Amino acid sequence: MKSTSYLMIFLLFVVGTSGCCVLGKNVDDQKFDASALDRLTANQTPAAEICEIFGAPNQVIEMSNGNAYIYRHSVSKATAVWLILVSMGTYDKQYDQIVFFFDNKDILTHYGASFNAEDASYGLPF
Amino acid sequence: MVCRFNYVAILIFVLFTGQLLFGCISYQMTKRVEGEKFNPPGDALQVGEATLKTALLKLGAPDHLVKLEGKDVLVYQRVVFRQNRLSLSIPALDAWSGNIGLSVFGGLESYDTLALFFTPDRILRQIVVEKSADRPYIKTMLED
Repeated sequence: MKSTSYLMIFLLFVVGTSGCCVLGKNVDDQKFDASALDRLTANQTPAAEICEIFGAPNQVIEMSNGNAYIYRHSVSKATAVWLILVSMGTYDKQYDQIVFFFDNKDILTHYGASFNAEDASYGLPF
Repeated sequence: MVCRFNYVAILIFVLFTGQLLFGCISYQMTKRVEGEKFNPPGDALQVGEATLKTALLKLGAPDHLVKLEGKDVLVYQRVVFRQNRLSLSIPALDAWSGNIGLSVFGGLESYDTLALFFTPDRILRQIVVEKSADRPYIKTMLED
């Protein structure tokens, strides 16, 4: 009788826990040194100096009155859960981005920065 | 002894059959989010007054930059994709190459978008806002 109980518990456990969970993380490009932004001065810092500090930009865009360099770093986190009847998946991708605007002489005029990559999170779709 | 054997055999049969039948119905939920939530600038950015510097200080780096004729556009965007799928099938029939099954699914990709149009001298000329990333899934799917 005891062995039957063990068998029943084992079978119920196998059926009840037929599922699995996967966690994944992707990182695209390297993090920026946000403190380096303090070394930049509008209307003084040339594009070449920004490239020395931050490396090659991910994207260069020609604007009406100069160019813009975009630096981007992203973190994606994925969660997938398979249960017997239900499966769920989420994928959250967040960015760190800095956009530098230059005038026609390639001198920095403005920049904007957003640091949200660390906000990427694992979770369920509800 | 005979009674115990029957009990175990029935239990195994029930569990095995249940495991096969559990595959009959499956429900999948998927959600993909790209980009951080943002709030419309409201009164913080006034057309004709706000500069590029003000916008960058208020909203940070844009997700996209576009040069149009005579104006530059900064685009801030958040994308949310949701999909639900319900599948009905009899997995036991796969052994006989049977292919009886029914699957319904619906995907909804929605966007929060803020587009700021600037003149070449970097004065805000126009603001376009669309907030639809949090639209209700079921209602939207049934509308169209």
